[in-house]
Amino acid sequence: MRLGQRPAYQTFLLYLALVLVTLFFLLPLLWILRTSLITKAQAYQIPPNFHVQLTLENYIEVLTTNKFARYYLNSAIVSLSATVLSVVFGAMSSYWLSRQPGNMTGAKLAILATQMIPPIVLVIPINTLIRSVGLNDSWMALVLAYLTFNLPYVIWMLLGFYDNVPRELDEASAIDGCSTMQTFFKVVFPLIAPGMMATAVYSFLVSWNEFVFALVLSGNATRTIPVAIAALETQHGVKIAELCASTMLAILPIVILSSFIKKYLVNGLTFGSIK
Amino acid sequence: MATVQLKNIKKIYPHSESKQKKGLFGKKKDEEPEKKHNLQITAEGTVAVQQFSLDIADKEFIVLVGPSGCGKSTTLRMIAGLDTITEGELYIDGRLVNDVPPKGRDIAMVFQNYALYPHMSVYDNMAFALKLRKMPKAEIDRKVREAAEILDITEYLDRKPKALSGGQRQRVAIGRAIVREPQVFLMDEPLSNLDAKLRNQMRSEILKLRQRIDTTFIYVTHDQTEAMTLGDRIVIMRDGFIQQIGTPHEVYNHPHNLFVAGFIGTPQMNFFQTRLECENGEFYVPLYGTRFELNEKQKQMIKERGIEPQEITLGIRPEHVSLCKEGGVEAEVDVSEMMGSSVHLHCSVQGEEVVVIVSGLELGEEHASGFSHGEKVRLHFDSNVLHLFGADEVNLL
Repeated sequence: MRLGQRPAYQTFLLYLALVLVTLFFLLPLLWILRTSLITKAQAYQIPPNFHVQLTLENYIEVLTTNKFARYYLNSAIVSLSATVLSVVFGAMSSYWLSRQPGNMTGAKLAILATQMIPPIVLVIPINTLIRSVGLNDSWMALVLAYLTFNLPYVIWMLLGFYDNVPRELDEASAIDGCSTMQTFFKVVFPLIAPGMMATAVYSFLVSWNEFVFALVLSGNATRTIPVAIAALETQHGVKIAELCASTMLAILPIVILSSFIKKYLVNGLTFGSIK
Repeated sequence: MATVQLKNIKKIYPHSESKQKKGLFGKKKDEEPEKKHNLQITAEGTVAVQQFSLDIADKEFIVLVGPSGCGKSTTLRMIAGLDTITEGELYIDGRLVNDVPPKGRDIAMVFQNYALYPHMSVYDNMAFALKLRKMPKAEIDRKVREAAEILDITEYLDRKPKALSGGQRQRVAIGRAIVREPQVFLMDEPLSNLDAKLRNQMRSEILKLRQRIDTTFIYVTHDQTEAMTLGDRIVIMRDGFIQQIGTPHEVYNHPHNLFVAGFIGTPQMNFFQTRLECENGEFYVPLYGTRFELNEKQKQMIKERGIEPQEITLGIRPEHVSLCKEGGVEAEVDVSEMMGSSVHLHCSVQGEEVVVIVSGLELGEEHASGFSHGEKVRLHFDSNVLHLFGADEVNLL
């Protein structure tokens, strides 16, 4: 037996354990998927009936009568805008911070400190502010609110990536004839692109899933998916089949996004671990 | 090709920067600032370079040399425009450039850690500066291929820097600089990341390159061998001050002070605490019970300068100490280092260490592989090449 090679029974047990752990985490999701694909009556059956005909009627209902397409658009606009703005502003401010002489520890800690405030504490003051400037029930209100917690996190996350890019590269490019903007776009940006992609994905996920601010700041016109899903719990009970269908729809973009950019995400999260 | 003039250049790093480096909780208010090396610390900050004046001629190869923290890299960075100049004036080709950004100075720089753009191929690294200048593609191609030919890196043009060895990366870094045909070529310890063999090879290549591209070079190193072999003139620095400017021959044979005498030369010059004595108008130096008579030239200089008998540090280079059969001073061998063509003997004479270089030709068969520990030898000091340093550490002669 070669060094490091396991006996067959050990490999079997290992895989069995892995399958069980994976099932433990996947089971709720699989159950949601199953519930979304059966009729409403079957969804409420206890004990559950496993011999059912699969149907897309919940999805059709969610997308047509519940205006889910509209909420999808709201969520997409708000999440994308918050992500783009936080990554653009975050990338620039984080680059500046990273290139200052000294560690700028005070400034960095101040940025991190904003992440220590529970979001719920900020909801009321931000709501008051938004109403006072007449932005209530608008995409802009949500985007601005999301920026308050996305931007500090993006700055903090990108700082780590910038710090891994040697300053000598900035200096070499300055001598080669680059302005600060050219150095940023031609030299530094390509090097931290994987990190920026990872940060953008994270920012998008946070915005897409955000609930508390969306609940308070959005109205009928700007309702996002998490709020719309929560609204399926009515005074007549939980519309479980529609709720499961809308949950699957909410997850779908994240799954597609993640599989597309998996390569960048892994690169970004491991950036700098090996020189 | 250009002249470079530095007039009374001073660089102060403000305290705020060093405080920031310490972080928020790094230091108490009343704590003394940390003293790095022996740099002067003033109210404004740490003085990294001061009273630096130097005229560099067109096409001259100047080497700034000194121990870590002496201000040589700071000086180079000020010339490059990467660090601001606190005081003084810097002229490149007669133009005051204190406030000109790096790209306006027409300089190229080779960094210690190469600073190649990792996402670009070798070709793109070399072409980058030319593309920024919006040079026609055909001309860029010609220049890059020409430089690659000179540096023997043509076959690597399509590779990324990570696929190259240290020596190849350094060639690319040099190539990136030469394609621009700059007025001044700056090099910041370009060979210090290479192994000894490659360093020797690259050193001779830099010499060849210099003959080929014939421009003004300013080269920073802490390696005195590089300084001696490459420079037309050497600037030796310590604690932010220039110690001596001179040709390799001058700094080696006529060191201005004790620091230069000790810094230049391997193994280091031997120093002895003794006195300059005068008897009947004849000056001599007593050492280990013997008397070193000064030669006529030395006596003449002492008279001209009105030097009085005084406590001195006597300096003798290891190659000016030889082994003798009779006479001289008795010594005991502590360590014998076989260098191939010569042997470096670390001997102890009355408790003091004396280093001697013995040429391989002088070694008899019994000492072909060096000397054994504790072996007794007799040393002869050549009085024609003595260096006498006064109490202020300055060379008296």
